[in-house]
Parts: sequence; C-alpha cells; structure tokens
Amino acid sequence: MKKVTKEVLKKAANNLMFDMSDEQYDTLLEEFDVITKQMELVSRIKGVDETTPMTFPFDQKSTYLRKDEVKTPLSKQEALKNADDVVDGYIRLPKVVG
Amino acid sequence: MSYLDLTIKEIHDAILAKKVTPEELVLEALKRAKADNNNAFEYICEKEALEELKNLKDKDPNNILYGIPFSIKDNYSTKDIPTCGSSNILQGYCPVFDATVVKKLRDAGAILIGKTTLDELAMGGTGTSGHLGTTYNPWDKSHTHLIGGSSCGSAANVASGVVPFSIGSDTGDSIRKPASNAGLVGFKPTWGRISRYGLFPFAPSMDHVGFFSRSVEDSLIILKALAGRDDRDMTSSYENVSIDLSKSIKGRKIAVIDNIINSISNKKIIEEFNKSLDYLTSQGAIVDKITMDEDLLKAIYPTYIIISCAEATSNNANLDGIKFGLREKGNTLDEVMINTRSKGFCEMIKRRFIIGSYSLLRENQDELFFRAQKCRRLIVNAVNDILKEYDVIYAPASPSVAPLEKGNSGDKLSDEYLVADNWMAIGNFGGLPSLTVPIGFDNNLPFGGNITGRVNDEETVLIIANAIEKFTGYHNLMAKEEK
Repeated sequence: MKKVTKEVLKKAANNLMFDMSDEQYDTLLEEFDVITKQMELVSRIKGVDETTPMTFPFDQKSTYLRKDEVKTPLSKQEALKNADDVVDGYIRLPKVVG
Repeated sequence: MSYLDLTIKEIHDAILAKKVTPEELVLEALKRAKADNNNAFEYICEKEALEELKNLKDKDPNNILYGIPFSIKDNYSTKDIPTCGSSNILQGYCPVFDATVVKKLRDAGAILIGKTTLDELAMGGTGTSGHLGTTYNPWDKSHTHLIGGSSCGSAANVASGVVPFSIGSDTGDSIRKPASNAGLVGFKPTWGRISRYGLFPFAPSMDHVGFFSRSVEDSLIILKALAGRDDRDMTSSYENVSIDLSKSIKGRKIAVIDNIINSISNKKIIEEFNKSLDYLTSQGAIVDKITMDEDLLKAIYPTYIIISCAEATSNNANLDGIKFGLREKGNTLDEVMINTRSKGFCEMIKRRFIIGSYSLLRENQDELFFRAQKCRRLIVNAVNDILKEYDVIYAPASPSVAPLEKGNSGDKLSDEYLVADNWMAIGNFGGLPSLTVPIGFDNNLPFGGNITGRVNDEETVLIIANAIEKFTGYHNLMAKEEK
C-alpha cells in the first residue's frame, strides 16, 4: 500500500479537482492515522482476504422491458435551466482548444 | 392544543370529522417553520404549499395523508424548489423533476412545507457540517446539544412539532441515530423497499430512504404510501408490503448482542433498555443474550468509512461547476472545476473524498477498498446467521444521549465508539429493515432502542417496536414539555 504522505494526499485532491489548505491536509493526515489503525482491525479478521467482495446488500433480479411507447424526454430548455452561462443553447466555458 | 400536534392518524381523523382543515394545518406548520430556531430549514416552501392546497380538490380526502403537512431532507429532488444538499456546491440549483417519494406524497395529498438541513451531501453524523451551520436539538432549548445527523433538520422538525413526519435518508445510521437523540420513531426499511429515484446518491450500495414520525403506527402509514417498485430505480423491490400491526409478539425471538451492551457505560440507558427487555419477555417474546465476534463488530466502522467514502467520491464527481450549481471563475476548464470544487465543498467532504479516492488507487485497492467489501460480506453473513435463528436484533441505538456541540469527540478506537456507536450500520450493509424507537430519558434528553430484522420482514420489526411503544407510553413525544 502506498504510504500516506501530504504529497500523496495533495495529488489525490488535485486528481479530484480541488485543493485544501496546509492545515486541512494536516488534519487529514491525523485522520488517516486513525483509519489505518481501524483498518488494521479489519486485516486481522480471519478469512477476510479469501472472501468475495460484497457490492450490494443482497441479490435481487430486476429486469423489465418497457412498453414501446413514445415518452417525452427532458427538453433542452429544462436541461440547461440550471447552467450558469448559456448561449444559443450551449453551455459557455473557457476555450479548451486554441 | 393544535391538531398539528397530533399523529398522522389522529390528524386524518380530525380532518374527516371536519374539526380541522388542511389549510389550517398548513398555515400553522408554515408559521412554526418560520419561527424555527433550531436551524432546521434550507428552504420553507410557503408559496408552493399554498399553491398545493389549491390542488387538494383533485385528491382523495380519504387518503390518510390527505392534507398532512410534511418536510423532506434537502437531498431529495423537488421540481422547481431549490435543492442544495446543504452544500454550497449546489447553490441555486432547482431540480426539474420530483423524486419518486415526493411525487407519491403529493399524489396522496400530503403538503410539502419545507426542505430540511442535513450534514453536507448526507456525509456526516453530527448535524454540524451543512453550509448553514449546526442544527440544534429541540429537547435542549439552550442549544448546547446536537441532534446528530445526517438527517438533522428532518429530526428537529418532527421533534419540535413543525410537522408530524419528515422524510430522511440513511446510509450509516443517519435516520436511526438522530431519532434516538430526538425521541422519535426513525425507520429505515429494507434496501430497495422505497424508490431512491431523485435521492442524491451518497453511497448507493448502502443508501436507503427512510423517515421520522412520532408513532410506530405513523411509520407504517408512511411505509405503505412510499413502498413499491419503480422502474426508474432498478434496485427497487417488487415485493409487496403486507403488515398487520395487531399481531402478537408472543414467540418472537429477539437477540440482544451483549458485546454492544457491555461497551455502553451510561447506566440509565442500560437500565431502561433492560426494562423494555423484561416487558417483551412478559408479553411472550423470547429474549436471548448472544455474543458476536468482537473483531467483526469493531470492523463495522472502518468497513463503512472506506466503502462509503469510495462510493461518494465517484458519485459526486459530476459536481463540477459546469452544468448546474455553483460556478467559480477560471481561465481554463480545469480552473473552473478546481476553483468550484475547492470553494463548494466543506473541508470534511473533501477529506472524505480523498479517503475514498486513496482507497481506490490500484496500489491500495486490495488492502483498503476490496478488503472493506470482503469484510462487509463477513459482517452481513454473521448478522444473517443470527437472523436465521432469531427474528430481530435489539440493542440501544446509541451509547449516549445527544452529544454536546462543544464536547470531546472521544476515542475513535474505543469499544464504545466502534461497537456501541456504529453497530447500526449492519442495517445498511445487509439492507435490513431497522427502526429506532424512544425508550427513555437521561437528564431530560431522550434515547432510543433499535430493532433490526430480516430483509423484507418489516412486520416483525414494527410489531416489536409497537409493543415497546405501548410499554413506554412514548407515543407522539414532542420537545414541548419537560420529561
């Protein structure tokens, strides 16, 4: 496992498209210390690594085909209603290319 | 006495008997909402509620929810009503659709009077991290005690009598713990029992719709109104809800996990819990103390934090300042996103996202994320093994009454924290129906007991809760009188 350092946490934050103050990273390092100790409890559980990971609480089949009826989708106007800067039906952003 | 101070059932009877009108109820609820000093509201839906009253003529007055005011946690989409998840990142966001639960309640004639505060984006358990600050506990007028979270505003509303019920959400115990702190019935049904379409996802493998009310009977009323398959939520259940609250608890087998009891130092909580056990036994229930693997119990919290942070990191990646919500300036697209997300999320949320992201890194996955998922299965297997032999697990919902705002956060590696304070997450891991009901008071602050049952067996959970409510007499508790 990658060692938890401030640099590793900063990189993780930047990959998540945000940043924090130095003090906040210090708080997080302390938090990681506690989590690491808590996860050590997990690592000591008999048979944990041989178990299949659980991704849902229980198995449940959910299949259906909807009726072949025309439905009204979200209108462009509604979809853009909450965007900050809309021009000619597009969301305007800083130029990416050029 | 106001009719608004009654339970849903009692208010409904009063409406049918023409003792009160929906308009009178809604106006009173709005008045109380505006006078709320617990910081429980993100938005009071005054004009929307008055408009909704006009639509009541098209609704069925015999529906038990007809004309009943309610509030909902502000992580549910409400069409054209501001919804921000108590986060600055969703500043100004107005959904263009209603969550399924909102639509069902509207169709039944219930009237939405407010969106309630929460820990930001439902990621918290204190009721302090929302962008409007701390939500307080109506049981403490000096505002030194918290109500807990993340469904803090919903709990405060019902406990202070603004509304008879409020919809919340529960991913780790976010309905059931504040219910204990607020003397309420807090119910989280089976995973998938109620559609989550329109509920902001936090950790979808553990997110549940649930609600607060002041009686077990009211909980059943709300469950019946909300349950049902919804094709817009593929995890929603096809199972029908058929519950007879009058059934006897005789012969029902109740498991009390003594590891939880042994990790609680508050004598009053243990005393009242034991009294409720004696009552259940006297009514013919079979109560057994059992011991669970202590290592598995202590693993519940770290398992929860790793899985929930990992899922949350992924689910909130769409909050980027582009399509909706807050947008900060930037010279490049990346700068817009970084500036928006840096400003829009509170510190705690950012820390949780980093924990989640770190645990998902390829080099860390085995030791953190996958190990947590594997541990989840072991915990659920152990709990389901208990529930093969017993009908429910019953234990105090919390090792303490509502915590002090300025109190010590305590030792995060202690048995009391890991076991007694966090055991209810088994209901989220296994999708089990789980309900907290008030069982006592300590220095005028309430505390509750939690009953967790088998998947789809809401009936047994509710009839045992009903029996406890009959014993304690804590029916329709509100923070208006001293106890």
